Amino acid sequence: MAQNACILSHRQNLHGDLHIPESLCWGLQSTTFSKMAASITGLLKPWTPRLFLVRWSRYNPYYLEPEPRKELYNMPETELTTEQKEERELKAVRPIKATTNSTTSSVFNDPVLSKFVNMMMRDGEKILARGILTQTLESLKRKQVEKYHKAPQGKKAEIECNPYAIFHQALENCMPVIGLASIQKGGKFYQVPVPLTDNRRRFLAMKWMITECRDNKNRRTLMYEKLSQELLAAYSKEGNVIKRKHELHKMAESNRAYAHYRWW
Amino acid sequence: MWRACQSERHLGQYYTLPTSHLHTIFPHGLPARYQQQVKTFNEGCVMVRQPALELISYLKAADYSKPAVRYLLYGLKGSGKTMSLCHTIHYCSTQGWLVLHIPDAHLWVKNCKELLPSSYHTSRFDQPIEASNWLRNFRTTNERFLSKIKLRQRYTWTKRESTEKGSPLGELVDMGVSRVKSSSDVVGAVLKELRLQAAETEESEGFRLAVAIDGVNSLWGRTTIKKEDKSPVAPEELTLIHNLRKMIDNNWCGGAVIATLSQTGSLYSPSSAYLPKELLGEEGFDSMDPFIPVPVSNYSEKEFESCYLYYLDRHWLQHPHSENEGKKEIIFLSNRNPSVLERLCAFL
Repeated sequence: MAQNACILSHRQNLHGDLHIPESLCWGLQSTTFSKMAASITGLLKPWTPRLFLVRWSRYNPYYLEPEPRKELYNMPETELTTEQKEERELKAVRPIKATTNSTTSSVFNDPVLSKFVNMMMRDGEKILARGILTQTLESLKRKQVEKYHKAPQGKKAEIECNPYAIFHQALENCMPVIGLASIQKGGKFYQVPVPLTDNRRRFLAMKWMITECRDNKNRRTLMYEKLSQELLAAYSKEGNVIKRKHELHKMAESNRAYAHYRWW
Repeated sequence: MWRACQSERHLGQYYTLPTSHLHTIFPHGLPARYQQQVKTFNEGCVMVRQPALELISYLKAADYSKPAVRYLLYGLKGSGKTMSLCHTIHYCSTQGWLVLHIPDAHLWVKNCKELLPSSYHTSRFDQPIEASNWLRNFRTTNERFLSKIKLRQRYTWTKRESTEKGSPLGELVDMGVSRVKSSSDVVGAVLKELRLQAAETEESEGFRLAVAIDGVNSLWGRTTIKKEDKSPVAPEELTLIHNLRKMIDNNWCGGAVIATLSQTGSLYSPSSAYLPKELLGEEGFDSMDPFIPVPVSNYSEKEFESCYLYYLDRHWLQHPHSENEGKKEIIFLSNRNPSVLERLCAFL
């Protein structure tokens, strides 16, 4: 494994543009570099697919991330900070990774929502997952707008009608602050409280939301109805997902004694 | 109130339907998504558009001592034909006409749960559920006419039951709703009576009859209903369809027939078809001929602006970006088609 890894890094340093998928490495484990070139072109002709899926192969680290938002390109020179100016100069020289099919330069594009759609998706049916999400947003908006129009004048300002705001706030309310990691010490495994990265917290919140809506619903309620009910409950800090978050926090609190088992 | 005096000045502007009218005139007429919108916004608003205004001006200018004129609304999918029809029906109701509104004729030629052989004519089939539903809604729409109109003929339903000559129409309708088995024949009787009596002049307690049919192309197409030996039923063999076809013939005076073509619910027709010749077929076009075609198109720029501002006013467009940059995107994605725009703005 270590030999494999160093062959890969060696190859990357010499051939900056070459991004060979990891599957190719396995066949080249024991050969040296000079023999490698001969075997590739000679007898060992690896199968490359007709359509080379560039995105899911491992990019060379110096490829930069793409920037889909339009307003950043329309900003004049004067408004840029020094970091942004440096970034722009770097972009002129370095190659850029290909974007996924689901990123758009539209103003309505939201990375958090796209992530949620991908997590809800099953068997690659993105259209169905996206349809469910749009129906959820619509039903959230309908409930809130109905309440808004029926409410007396004084209470109107408190009702939040924006489904996107409700979604983001509900997700934030569901995100755990601290998590548990299974660490082995002296033959036994202990659940140790551990800080979580932002990505991990967001992932856990979305995962809990989706599993809860899939498992704990009536046979006859549709996914979007259950999702909209849960999101509204999470927005007002009630409901099963919030309960699950609190249980995780309580477990972490009760295992405080093992906190020093963490070494990072 | 704006009802009778809508003119070209009001093009693109919205007018509110009073809630009482919504429950009485439209128990079954409005599109499903529009009904949801009415429930959400707590009010029903209709945009004044050019096809509806054109229809209303023709209705005002027509001569009702001549045979009934037939109007046909046609257009692309989702361009507002049903809504224009509902606007015209609202106008007719407020002018005191008797409105015969069939919300979707496609529902009568497909998914029939119960098919009874007709007692009146041996080769025809009855649809009791659809007929009794329609009679119930007809009763809600035209309450005030039910006691005024008297029957001209005696109708015998079974050996023991009959409706006498001179009894009010309300009794006939009640009988149709309660006795579900003979409801299709009751529908036929009701249509016949109204056709005969609409011909009277205004002075002698006459009334004007508006027949509004949505999805008129189903009357001459094919059905998906099958007999017990799995052979398909032709539309002529259904009592309801047979009576409706007699209504559409222009051999009666004192009213108008307003019809809408619809590809969405139609059977065995391609989804790109929207013109009268394609959807009605040879037979249908010959029966409807001569008619006045009224094309319904997508929103113009002014109408789109009006719709957009209405949604903003009702707090429907909530996305922060939908004000400026998002507007161009919405125009591009929807091509100003009313139904596509509505579905797009639902989640924005």
